Amino acid sequence: MDEQVKQQAEQLYMRGLHVFARCADTQSLKLVAELWQQAYELYREIGDESKARELEKLLAGFYKKKYMLTQQRKQPKPGLVERFNDWTMFLKIGCFGFGGPMAVFTLLEDELVRRRQILTNEDFLEGAVLGDVLPGPVTMDIVTYTGYKLKKWSGAIISTVVFILPSFVLMIILAMLYDRYRITPKVEEVFKCLGAAVTGLIISVGMRLTKAEMKGYRELCVLIWAFASSLIFKLDIVIIVSLAGIAGIVVYHKDAAKENLK
Amino acid sequence: MITNLLRLAWVFLKIGAFSFGGGIVIIPMVENEVVVRYGWLTKTEFVDAITLGQVTPGPVIISATFIGYKVCGILGAVVSTLSVIAPSFIMICLATEAIRKFRENKILANFLRGARIAVIGMVFDAAVSIGRSSIIDIKTLLIAAASMVCLFKYKVNPIWILLGAGIVALVT
Repeated sequence: MDEQVKQQAEQLYMRGLHVFARCADTQSLKLVAELWQQAYELYREIGDESKARELEKLLAGFYKKKYMLTQQRKQPKPGLVERFNDWTMFLKIGCFGFGGPMAVFTLLEDELVRRRQILTNEDFLEGAVLGDVLPGPVTMDIVTYTGYKLKKWSGAIISTVVFILPSFVLMIILAMLYDRYRITPKVEEVFKCLGAAVTGLIISVGMRLTKAEMKGYRELCVLIWAFASSLIFKLDIVIIVSLAGIAGIVVYHKDAAKENLK
Repeated sequence: MITNLLRLAWVFLKIGAFSFGGGIVIIPMVENEVVVRYGWLTKTEFVDAITLGQVTPGPVIISATFIGYKVCGILGAVVSTLSVIAPSFIMICLATEAIRKFRENKILANFLRGARIAVIGMVFDAAVSIGRSSIIDIKTLLIAAASMVCLFKYKVNPIWILLGAGIVALVT
């Protein structure tokens, strides 16, 4: 009888050891503790004091270790300085963000979601939507958003400043050179052609936006009205955008009311 | 100097607050304030500022740095850049904080939807404003058309377009 119980206890102990050697997550650690506890009680039952004490020691050490593991999990989030790598990442994107918002957008998604996993895909999209809806360039808005998520206001300030810094410095240098070399014919020619290319770029952006936002003739009317009043009547952009916004409130509110009635 | 700095800050704060849908939108507004109203830059310089804003990495609003530098040197550049960033920066932080409330607010959503459409009109306005002074002969017209087609239809990275235009300028 005693022999059988002893064997059972031995088995329980071995099983616990087995799990312990393989896994380190909380669930399996709990299982190990339970198995060894059972084995300990069985040893006590049959009066095998030396084995029981051995297990007692093991369990004590084990609980301590487990305690430490849970402690580790509760470590505070990395501080401003520990996030240094992430800040330099924004600097890097700020340096290599040539080629407009779409290029930067892809770079950001790659770094934030895939490589560093700072943001989940949903978080990133949420940031993109915010950036799209609120003023300011979308890419910079996402950078600000990420910084804020990481470390509230200080994080937002650091990430935005670091992101804009390379362009800022380059622009100052170009502005200094500009005063000196603008009058030379070669530079004149380059600026002329770049200006033309930029015109094409702006038109393509406008066309892409039109394609995305046009849902009916109402939108088209507002668009043409905005274009005309800005170009011909020189109305202030603040007034134009505000009026269009108010029109949006009225029109879309009615739409929603109609849908509700149905 | 101080008045100019304050004016720069005010102008770019206003512009930053209304740059819905990206930086290009602000071009007509910047032109209106910087060229017409205060006469800080000539029209050519203004077009060059926008062009340089496209050439540098980062968003177009960095043209504000150039304009600020032109008006008040380095200090002006710092002031105008910070001012143009500040409004959207604050709005994003506040919106992130209260994202749920922000999302559920229908009135705000409709306002922004309407505003976004007006903004597209501004973009075309910007194209007219830049195009008027940079498309002056057959060559520039061809460049503009080619860049438009490449970007809209084939979605080429804009930096290659700008590089190409630069090379065309140097070779011919």
